[in-house]
Amino acid sequence: MKSTLTSAALAATALIVGCSSPKTTYVEPGSSRLVTNVDQINIQDFAQAADTMVNSLIDNLINPGQLKSGVPDQPALLAISRIQNNTGTQLDTDLLVKKMRVALLRTGKVQTSTTIAYGGAEDPLMAEEEKNNQFFNDKPKRRPDYTLSGKIIEDRTRAGNVRQSAFVFQLSLSSRDGIGVWEDEKTIVKQGSRPTVGF
Amino acid sequence: MKTFGSLAAVALGAAVGLLSGCGSTAVNSVEPAQSSAQRAMLSDKCVFNDRSLAKAVRVLGINTATDQGGFLKIQIEVQNTTRSRKLFTYRIEWFDEHGILISLPTTVATPRSLEGRDLADITATAPTAKAKDFRIQFLEPVS
Repeated sequence: MKSTLTSAALAATALIVGCSSPKTTYVEPGSSRLVTNVDQINIQDFAQAADTMVNSLIDNLINPGQLKSGVPDQPALLAISRIQNNTGTQLDTDLLVKKMRVALLRTGKVQTSTTIAYGGAEDPLMAEEEKNNQFFNDKPKRRPDYTLSGKIIEDRTRAGNVRQSAFVFQLSLSSRDGIGVWEDEKTIVKQGSRPTVGF
Repeated sequence: MKTFGSLAAVALGAAVGLLSGCGSTAVNSVEPAQSSAQRAMLSDKCVFNDRSLAKAVRVLGINTATDQGGFLKIQIEVQNTTRSRKLFTYRIEWFDEHGILISLPTTVATPRSLEGRDLADITATAPTAKAKDFRIQFLEPVS
């Protein structure tokens, strides 16, 4: 009887230890296991917004052949203008923009300038090199064909225990003439009864 | 006594009606009987590892098209076969002509919800003209 009880206790302990998940695990950034908060923009929200925007750019500008490059047989040159964060949370807009840049570069139709950008060059060393090149070789600097600007807006509301946050991603692509040749908006709405919920 | 019995039956009926009215979120929809759009439907190969999700969210068809830029566009028609709202996520992976996965930072498990009996079209465009094949994965949301 005693040995049966001991075996049962050991089996139960093994089962508990075996089933209990470790405290920290790696998850794929594209998986459905990521932590989601109602009150903030999560990493998967940025990926979702970037994916939608790149899809829209391909569908409306790249695929119909409406994207024009200033240099024949070269991809169009894009410069990043101001992406305004109008949410209550401090966030790095590169979480959105960098994903878009990578995806656009992979299309083979768009390249992004690392020396011309709103707020200063991303690559200051290359910007200096370009200046020197212009000064010594009198080589004109290639100007961007398009600029990308936008805004991230937040709207929060609550009804009883249900909290809702809406994050609106608005982006525009302007041509050299200052005309918005592409615009899109992606809204991500999250609801939850607590500040933190999983999805 | 008979009056009490009939009153109780009416109250029970009302309660059931109220409950089913609150719980059911089935969708009514209308569309042209003869569609003018030409669809190039693709035969699909489904692998069901989550039977309950496959039963609830059914893939009705996959439509593909390639525009002049050479980017593959896909549209997956799905239906929630249950009478209640269903939450799920989907992820689309793209492959080049050699079947190699095209990795992108924008690959994400996109959350989606469908009301009862609702139909939805999931559309996506290939990230590059090199993408010739794709795979769609449906997952239950993890809480």
